[in-house]
Amino acid sequence: MLKDIIKKEIQETITSAKFVFTFLLCAILILLSVYTGIVSYHSDQKEFSAAVALNKKNLESQPSYGYLAQLGTKINKPPQVLGAISSGVDEAVGRVATVNIALDPNLVDSKYESNPVFSVFGALDLTFIVKIVLSLFAILFTYDAIVGEKEKGTLKLTLSNKVPRDRLILGKVIGGFISLLIPLIIPLILSLLILLVYPNISLSGQDWIRLLLMFLMFFLYLSVFFTLGLLVSARTNKSSTSFLVLLFIWVTFVTIIPKLSVVTAARLHPIPSVHEITAKKDAFLQQIQVEYQKVGVNYMKENPMKKGESVKEFQDRIKKWAEVIQQEATAKIDANNAALELDYGAKKRSQVSLAINLSRISPASALTFSTMSLARTGLDEHDRFLASIRGYKPIFTKWANAKMMRTIDFSGTGQTAKVVLDDMPQHKFEPETLSKSLARTIPDFGLMLFLIIVFFAGAYVSFLKYDVR
Amino acid sequence: MLETINLTKRYEDGQLAVDHLNFKVEPGEIFCMFGANGSGKTTTINLLLNFIPPTEGTALIEGIDVTKEPLRSKDFISFVSENVTLYGNFTAFQNLDYFTKLAGKRGLTKSDYAKALKSVGLQEEAFNVRTKNYSKGMRQKLGLAIAVIKDAPNILLDEPTSGLDPKSGQEFLNLLIQMRDQGKSVFMSTHDIFRAKLIADRVGFMKKGRLVIMKTRRELEGEDLTELYIQYMEERPESELK
Repeated sequence: MLKDIIKKEIQETITSAKFVFTFLLCAILILLSVYTGIVSYHSDQKEFSAAVALNKKNLESQPSYGYLAQLGTKINKPPQVLGAISSGVDEAVGRVATVNIALDPNLVDSKYESNPVFSVFGALDLTFIVKIVLSLFAILFTYDAIVGEKEKGTLKLTLSNKVPRDRLILGKVIGGFISLLIPLIIPLILSLLILLVYPNISLSGQDWIRLLLMFLMFFLYLSVFFTLGLLVSARTNKSSTSFLVLLFIWVTFVTIIPKLSVVTAARLHPIPSVHEITAKKDAFLQQIQVEYQKVGVNYMKENPMKKGESVKEFQDRIKKWAEVIQQEATAKIDANNAALELDYGAKKRSQVSLAINLSRISPASALTFSTMSLARTGLDEHDRFLASIRGYKPIFTKWANAKMMRTIDFSGTGQTAKVVLDDMPQHKFEPETLSKSLARTIPDFGLMLFLIIVFFAGAYVSFLKYDVR
Repeated sequence: MLETINLTKRYEDGQLAVDHLNFKVEPGEIFCMFGANGSGKTTTINLLLNFIPPTEGTALIEGIDVTKEPLRSKDFISFVSENVTLYGNFTAFQNLDYFTKLAGKRGLTKSDYAKALKSVGLQEEAFNVRTKNYSKGMRQKLGLAIAVIKDAPNILLDEPTSGLDPKSGQEFLNLLIQMRDQGKSVFMSTHDIFRAKLIADRVGFMKKGRLVIMKTRRELEGEDLTELYIQYMEERPESELK
């Protein structure tokens, strides 16, 4: 009998106009989003390679290490292949940071900066399609699953037979869910094929696992709305009421809770503005510059050229001293900036984590955070990348200072040492491991499963007591 | 056989929908229950189908207490409701196939379904048409075909002829007569006194949840059923009633 109920549910749905409409729209949107994601990744990758090459060329063309130290090297954020599925914060945050001896590095030049219209509409990635469009379809498939049968009179007719209610609801759940998965699975398989055959796109074994976990998250997310639809359908007496209630919950989950949690977190955990931090950094930089100018003048007064000291010996002594002093000054600036950043970062992280945890009661937020983490396009990966650049800054500074001081030209002939980058330390960044990303997404998987169980149990119990009249 | 013994239903808001109802529908008998809207006819059917629990009393189908053995009792009853739209995207065959399987009948062929559909007067060309394109009369006939194919000894009908055109209504009554002749117990709640008069072996009048009068076909001879209906449905003290 269960098989008959499941079969009927599937047959009834796939012969309906709403299924045909859903299937077509799903296919178009999913394939379009994956295709545009891949194309965008491809162009980002090209842009990244060009930027890296240009940076090297730029550095090599500098007339001296002094110029190089001031100009700094540019660190470009490599694009993530899974950003094609979930672009996360990658388009909103900067893609390139300048590391020089003076300023604290920051990622700038985001896609949204290049084209602010993007920030208004957001990215059309697969996560967006699932979060907004497919969750609405899940509601569309279930809002009248029970109450609709009551209105048609088929529920009474069904239960006038020897049909246990628990079997009927189980059959409806299984059959309904299979019907919902059909318009999702076929385009998803096609999009996987596109990923496989598209030239210059290669996914590692770990990327495939991440991708499958993202798809699993999509299914769980849709199951939340599917079971919620069943629950509301089993708690209402009119399908129009059921639809309105579900629409209200959907709006709350998808837009209100995430936005409200950010505002609430900002109120509960205020943090100093970026301008405040920059002003503090600038003030300290000025202070150090003044301080070390005095130190320089004093040194020259107290340590003039000694008797018997040749000009070359004197210049070498000055160079050595200047290198030590320069390293000391920049180390102080770096330490101060690092302390300010650490404090600001801790406060910011605490605010962000409060906002994330508050918004996590919404499955839409849980979906966003988990897929971002799995695609390595989330806030944490961004923070880690920025931290790696900040960690690289003192290394670069030390190298640049040493090179700069050792090649000071006192002759005034304008001749400078040629810039050679062979021994320049390179920035290294290790992307987050799968196990760490997975650990980060466990609360989101847990929340989804919890909601599915609660909504399904609610629907099940409600249907056992449902007034079929 | 259908039977109610002191069957009572009081809803949570205090409304007494069925008040100590006692009646029996024997095999080969059509019992028509009259009553105004809200008199308790549909509540009685809901109690017999165990869709709602009684406050007091018992409803029996083939001697089975429907509250004690609800699933077993369903084997012995077919139900035809007033406004069943069935599954609109399914054809008559598909609807019939699904409900037949729910009724526990297996191994029936398309020709068995066609026979059942023909027996209720559905035109052959309508068998493969989606039922959302059916008229009300066609849907009622399909509902009856579902009852026919289940072949339960008891049939419950909740105002099945309301909204049917005269021809469809007459065809429908003929089918009920056939069922009665096959020895089935037929209980029909209705407002349609003209049609009921033609087929009922017994009639009952419900008012405010109570069965205020019950008459056999013989007792009805020479009576004006319309007059009787109006008389009983009017708000008069029961002592004034015949």
